[in-house]
Amino acid sequence: MKSIISGLFIIALALNSFGQAKKPTIMVVPSDRLCISKGYSMTFDNQGSQQTLPDYKKAFQNDGDLRMVISKMSGMMADRGFPLKDLEQEMKNLANEAAEASMIASTSSGSAIAESPIDVLKRTAKADIIMDLDFEIKQMGPKKYIVFTLNGLDAYTSKNVASASGSGQPSSAATPEILLEEAVLSYMDEFNGRLMTHFTDMFANGREVKILVKTFANAGITLEDEYDLKGTTDMLSIHIEDWIAGHTVQGRFSLSDGTATMMRFEQVRIAMEIERNGKMRAQDTRMFVNELSKFLRENCQIESKVYLRGLGEAWLIVGEK
Amino acid sequence: MKRVTQIFAMVLALIFMASTTSQAQSKNKVRKMEYNSQYNYEVATVAVGVDGTKLVKVWGYGPDPEEATRNAKELGIACAIFRGFPPASNGAAAKTPPIVTDSDAAEKNMAFFETFFAPGGKYLQYVNLSTDAPPSGEDRIKVNKKTYKVGVVLSIAFDELRKDLEKEGIARKLDAGF
Repeated sequence: MKSIISGLFIIALALNSFGQAKKPTIMVVPSDRLCISKGYSMTFDNQGSQQTLPDYKKAFQNDGDLRMVISKMSGMMADRGFPLKDLEQEMKNLANEAAEASMIASTSSGSAIAESPIDVLKRTAKADIIMDLDFEIKQMGPKKYIVFTLNGLDAYTSKNVASASGSGQPSSAATPEILLEEAVLSYMDEFNGRLMTHFTDMFANGREVKILVKTFANAGITLEDEYDLKGTTDMLSIHIEDWIAGHTVQGRFSLSDGTATMMRFEQVRIAMEIERNGKMRAQDTRMFVNELSKFLRENCQIESKVYLRGLGEAWLIVGEK
Repeated sequence: MKRVTQIFAMVLALIFMASTTSQAQSKNKVRKMEYNSQYNYEVATVAVGVDGTKLVKVWGYGPDPEEATRNAKELGIACAIFRGFPPASNGAAAKTPPIVTDSDAAEKNMAFFETFFAPGGKYLQYVNLSTDAPPSGEDRIKVNKKTYKVGVVLSIAFDELRKDLEKEGIARKLDAGF
C-alpha cells in the first residue's frame, strides 16, 4: 500500500514538472484594403502628407458581412482549441480601461495611478498571431463569386506563418452571405493545416523571436567596448552574440544588423520551456532576454533594462536599469 | 533455305508471345500492387460540405458494385485521415489537409486502424452516401471479368472524425503542447 502511494506521489510530481508552452493569442483583423475599399477609413495629415488608415470601429459598426465572417471563423478556431481575441471587444475594453484608470485614486493620499507615456502607447489591441482577412464579392455577368484571402502573420517576426486564398465558384443563385460562409468553410482547414505545421516546427526547433540590444545614451557604454570574460577579451557585442549562440536551440539565430549602439537579432530560436526553481516553465522572449541581462550583470558588471514588446519580441537596453 | 526461314519465323513468334505474356503478367502485377497500395486514392472534391463535413467523389474497386462501393467508403475515410482531399477543379472548394500529419501514424497505430477499418468497423460512422441508388452510367465501370470500379459521392463527417482521432491520441491537436 505504501509503495502504491509513493508511486502515485512520484507520478503526480512528474506530471507537475511538465510545463506548458505559452499559447499564442490570435485575432482576426480586417485587411487595410478591405477597410479602405469599403470606406471604413480615416485620413489625416501627417506632417504634410495625407495618410489613410483603416477605421476598425466603423467597419464593425457598419459591415454585417465582416461580422458574420469573423463570427464563423471564431467558432471554428474555438473548436480547435484557439478561441480568438475579438478585436471589436478588445477596442471597447481598452477604452473602458483608459477611462477607469484615469478615475482611480488612492483612498489615503488621493494619488492617481502611475502611468508612463509608454504605458499609454502600449494600450492597443495586440495579438501574437494576426489573421489578416480580406474578401471581395465580384460579379461575372449574372453570377457572383468570392475572392478570399487569409494570412496568418506573426506579429513579431512579421512572417506569414499560415495562409489560404483563392476564388470560389461563380453562382447566380447563392446570396453573398452563403458565398462568404462557403469560403470560410472551404479555406479554414487549409489555413489550420499550415498553422499546425508552424506549431510543429516551433516545438521541434524552438519559438522564433526577435531581440534588439540597445544602449542608454547617458551610460557611456558602447557595444564595441572591450571586456575580459574568463580570459577572453573581446567586444561586448561579440560576448552577447556568443551568449545567444550558446542559449538558442541548435545555436540558430541571425544578427541582421549591428552598430556600436545597436544589435538586431532575428530568427532567434528560443526553447519553448526553461527550468526554473526545479520546474519546467514556459519561456517567452522576456525570460530569455532576462537571462542575458543577468549574464551581463554577473560577468561584465553592466546593468541593463529588459523591455517587453510581446511574446515574441523583447529589447535589452544596456547601461542602466 | 525455306526451312531456315520457317524456323526463324517460329522462334521470333515464340519470343514475341513470351514477351507479351510476361508484359500482361507484369501489368496485372502492377495493377494489383496499385489496388493494394496505401497511397492510391482516386478522390475528387465535389463542393464545400455543410459545416464540419466534406463532399467528395471517391472511386472504389470490388468484384461487384456493392463491394466496390464499400471499398470507396473505406478509401474515402482513409484519404481523409492520411492524405487529405485535393481542391475542387472548378474552384468550388479549397484543398483539405490530412487529419494525421505524422507519416508513420498508420504503422504506429496498426492495431487501432485494423479494428477501425474492419468490415462493419467504426469508420462507417463518419461516412454517408449522398445518394441511395447504386452507381450507374459512367460511375460504374467493369474493369475486367472480376473487377468493378465505381465512383461514389460521399459526405464525410470530417470534423467529427478529426475530434475522435484527437481523443484517441492518433491525431495531433492544433493546441497540443500549449
